[in-house]
Amino acid sequence: MKYAYFLSCINESMTREVDRALNLWKKDLGIELVNLEKGTCCGGSNLDYVSPDHFIIINGRNIALAEKMGLDLVTSCSTCLLTLRRAKQILDSSPAKRELVNSHLADEGLHYAGTSDVKHLLWVITEDYGLERLAAKVTAPLRGVRFAPFYGCHILRPSALLGRDDPAAPTSLDRLVEALGGSLVEYGSKNKCCGFHTLLVAEKQSLAMTGNAVEDAVRSGAHYIVTPCPLCHTALDAYQDKALAGRGVSGNIPVLHLSQMIGLALGYSQKELGIDRHMIAA
Amino acid sequence: MERREVSFRIQRYNPQVDRAPFYDNFRIAVEKGITILRALNYIKEHLEPRLTFRAFCQAGICGSCAIRINGVSRLACTTQVWDVLTGGGDDPILIEPLDNLEVIRDLVVDIDPIMEKLKRNQSWVKPAIPEEELGRKEHIVSDEQFETINAASDCILCGSCYSECSMMQVNRDYISPPVLLKAFRMNNDTRDTLGCQRLREVTTDNGLWDCAHCYKCMEHCTKKIPIMDGIHHLREEAFARGMTHTEGARHAQAFFDDIRDIGRLKEVTLPLRTKGVLGSLGMVPLAIKMGLKGRKPPLLVKRIPDIERVRDIYDRLEADRGGEVVGAIHELPLRSAPRSGGCL
Amino acid sequence: MEHRYDIVIVGAGGGGMFAALEAVRTNPRVSVAVISKVYPTRSHTSAAQGGVNAALGNKDRDDTVELHVFDTVKGSDYLADQDAVDYLCGQAPSVVRELENLGAPFSRFADGTIAQRPFGGTVKDRCCYCADKTGHTLLHTLFEQCLRRGVTFFNEYFLLSLEHADGDCQGVITLNMATSAIETFVAPVVILATGGHAKMYWNRSSNAAGNTGDGQAAALRAGIPLKDMEFIQFHPTGLRKSGLLVTEGARGEGGYLLNRHGERFMARYAPQKMELGPRDLVARSMETEIIEGNGFESDAGSYIELDLRHLGAEAIKKKLPQIRELSMHFEGVDPIEEPIPVRPTAHYSMGGIDATMARTAIRGVYAVGECACVSVHGANRLGGNSLLDILVFGKRAGQEAALEAPERKAHGITPPAVRRAADEIRSYANHERYERYGIIREEMGKAMGDNVGIYRVEERLRTGVDEIHALRERFRRIRLFDTGTVYNTNLIQILELKNMLDLALCVAVTALERQESRGSHYREDFPRRDDGAWHRHSLCTMGSDGEVSLGHKAVTMGKYSLETRSY
Repeated sequence: MKYAYFLSCINESMTREVDRALNLWKKDLGIELVNLEKGTCCGGSNLDYVSPDHFIIINGRNIALAEKMGLDLVTSCSTCLLTLRRAKQILDSSPAKRELVNSHLADEGLHYAGTSDVKHLLWVITEDYGLERLAAKVTAPLRGVRFAPFYGCHILRPSALLGRDDPAAPTSLDRLVEALGGSLVEYGSKNKCCGFHTLLVAEKQSLAMTGNAVEDAVRSGAHYIVTPCPLCHTALDAYQDKALAGRGVSGNIPVLHLSQMIGLALGYSQKELGIDRHMIAA
Repeated sequence: MERREVSFRIQRYNPQVDRAPFYDNFRIAVEKGITILRALNYIKEHLEPRLTFRAFCQAGICGSCAIRINGVSRLACTTQVWDVLTGGGDDPILIEPLDNLEVIRDLVVDIDPIMEKLKRNQSWVKPAIPEEELGRKEHIVSDEQFETINAASDCILCGSCYSECSMMQVNRDYISPPVLLKAFRMNNDTRDTLGCQRLREVTTDNGLWDCAHCYKCMEHCTKKIPIMDGIHHLREEAFARGMTHTEGARHAQAFFDDIRDIGRLKEVTLPLRTKGVLGSLGMVPLAIKMGLKGRKPPLLVKRIPDIERVRDIYDRLEADRGGEVVGAIHELPLRSAPRSGGCL
Repeated sequence: MEHRYDIVIVGAGGGGMFAALEAVRTNPRVSVAVISKVYPTRSHTSAAQGGVNAALGNKDRDDTVELHVFDTVKGSDYLADQDAVDYLCGQAPSVVRELENLGAPFSRFADGTIAQRPFGGTVKDRCCYCADKTGHTLLHTLFEQCLRRGVTFFNEYFLLSLEHADGDCQGVITLNMATSAIETFVAPVVILATGGHAKMYWNRSSNAAGNTGDGQAAALRAGIPLKDMEFIQFHPTGLRKSGLLVTEGARGEGGYLLNRHGERFMARYAPQKMELGPRDLVARSMETEIIEGNGFESDAGSYIELDLRHLGAEAIKKKLPQIRELSMHFEGVDPIEEPIPVRPTAHYSMGGIDATMARTAIRGVYAVGECACVSVHGANRLGGNSLLDILVFGKRAGQEAALEAPERKAHGITPPAVRRAADEIRSYANHERYERYGIIREEMGKAMGDNVGIYRVEERLRTGVDEIHALRERFRRIRLFDTGTVYNTNLIQILELKNMLDLALCVAVTALERQESRGSHYREDFPRRDDGAWHRHSLCTMGSDGEVSLGHKAVTMGKYSLETRSY
């Protein structure tokens, strides 16, 4: 199993532990990831406002880099996933846009044809690798650990573009938790918004969203929140104290990245997985 | 005809009598093919005449009967009971009023805030034609121009997106998805003359740039309108018209600039560039704490290899356009009309 | 609470809102309030799918207002008043263009002009449309323009009565639905625009739940006659299970009607126009096929198939998206793959408040749109003429009201009138009452559907009259079970039922009276049109005893004299 791996900006800086954890265990599963070194930032669902042309060419280029390797493109960030898939949808449905993109890629010896799919790491694990196979690899089952799975938005919605889970009742992350031996809590916020994308423009409101989700998870009695998105993680972890301020919620809840949760079940230590780097101690 | 007993767990609240909302359970026999609205009508007529909800056209075009069914905002009249059964049909179907609006009674909510926001944001066409000449001549509108606003004009103001919106949940003053959709629809109508004014209004506080792009509005639109695309296009239009003074616009500009410079986002200066010096001061304590955990973005981010290729793209695009940013290119269902020029 | 306005408009559909716009435009100094029992964009105008007729000549260059007049008069089976039809069709191009100018998103031809398509009973293609959501887009455009003009809306107010003093309008008494408080609106000019009353057929109707004729009933009780009440249009293509409507546009785009032998049977009834014959003829032909055993049978009743498959997926998706959605939601049928099961459904009330160019017998009271009978539709309305009716006469009433209001004065609504309204509402909660709303309403729908339906005959009509009489008697013992004052929908249901029962009696009685067949009114015992005896409007008035008395009125003729109607 070999994929091109998209280097998300946030995983290259603030949440470096995501890829660190992934790189520890990927070989255990026989998953080979080729980093997309020449890839750029996807624009974080912001680039297209400034210039739709840049958005489509830049992301057409990112996908074309994977196509050149003959590999599907995998990302660990939900917003990168959505942004890249949006670009792909536009390109796959418009010959004119493909032509535009390719006219800019020719110099670099690249060509967008639409041959590479864009996937999230969660999908690679649950669909390509398979949960039964994964369960068989578990060496340190997460028995007795209660997880609040937090999907966030951009891996669920719009379902027309993402289409794996029912956004109103997603299950993929839940099934992964169970495959790793963990248990689940019932809580209402699993498919809600973490507030990350407006943290810099509407901080108070964003923190209220973050706070709602975290409070919900705390009250559910979960030991951990687990999320497939480093942006959600940043809101839920780094901003947790601020978001819970004044809510009368006692205690915190640590937040794990998807790659860390899998790492734990495969026998790696918290330290190896960079869990000690989080703002909320596990 | 397939038939079964189904339980409905319905939120009740009469402010005259009840201190707080509570849930009532009703179990009725339902035929396959029956809508939630018909089930509610049955309950009202046979079991509980006080059960209160709105309904009118029963055909999915008036928007009266929007409620939350199993937590999701939908029209009662177009939702089949069979389609929302869970737990093998044994779980009760949860029926609640729309969220983010005040409950008047049971499932009836006050939708006046939506009407007020529509009004404040000039949700109408103001044509160039003088009043006394109305009705004399048709505007010539191409089929493509019509198609640009066609999907957006499907909106029935049912309030489902308003109820689903993540930002509404934490800020009742937020402009809201249906009002943004109307703004898109009006600003892309070639007959309208209020584009700049409206966009200025829409981009003020609690406006366009506060959308958290959670895509809930679009996911749950009862008329399947890609509302987020409309919001995207409005943001593009803000740039195209040079309205880049807002925090949201500066934030987006930073992504654009960084990709040219190094290919990656320079997160360390992102707050500064979005919020300015004063605005980012509040973030310093958290930044220090994060730094102690080793969670700080590097001061100098390494350029990606071949950054020159990316810059070539920027240069060529710049040259093609003579520096002017033109309209949207998306061919998603909601397209944006070409625009030119800024606003005074 | 008492409100005072120069003009009060009851109903916020297309007619009411256009009247409001036009009133504030004509005379910005008059104060205007629009009262509606639903939020404006909920109004039933939204359900008009097909389009609005206007001789723009964008498609058929040789189309003219005269041809539109002719089609309308012929379609009415010569019962329409031709001065009103002249006005309707003459104003059509400019009101359609005006709505277009104000932002209504009409579908377009390749040259950028408003697209037009064929519709039933017309010689030219003149129906302007926006996909199959024309009413919805016109309603929203008018609402947007009302917001722009700052029109004052009182949403969720229910009309209780129309008040006058010696024939001079004094205003209306209403119920604030949110609080159940009685609020009066004193106004020298009132425009009634409350929509139709075909919901009296209940499950055999395409109408919204609230199309209960509230304005008609209030006018009737205030002494204004109702005209031509026997004429109820049955739309040929209601969905089999729900009665919901499939637009005539589906046939305009080329849809076939098939019986169970796969035959396009309209060839036998209207060889020229086929599926695009006028609605009364097509509905009757379908009913005949079903009666003669040529229909399809199912648990949900007999039906005819509307086949769109040959139009292709693209055309269906682009031009009839709502129809596709409705068929899938309510019949589980995708018209791209399968024919749609349909049968005729009560759809439109041609009759209504007797009005002459929108003015009624009470000075200062206007009536427009489906609640009125101007009469431009006569015995049968053409598809695409109802949206036109609300626009043209809504606009005219608004203009005239704005000029008339400053000339008139309303003294006020008397305390006894308000007391009567309050007493009536209180009385419904009386513990000795026991009749249930749902049961009486169900029986009313059945009584009307079975006895006063598409095919009518004396014996059944007498049964219908008797049954409605009996139901009105039982209504006197109807019980309001919800005694709360906050948003009491149980109370509104009862008030609506009362209105429907009064109007149902008018429909049944006039249908029994008219011993001929004309337009939508088909008597098996009198299968021919009888111009000598019956070429006249019927009138109904209601005495204080609640009994209906009948009268009649001459038809205003014009350029077109009586002819046999064939298609």
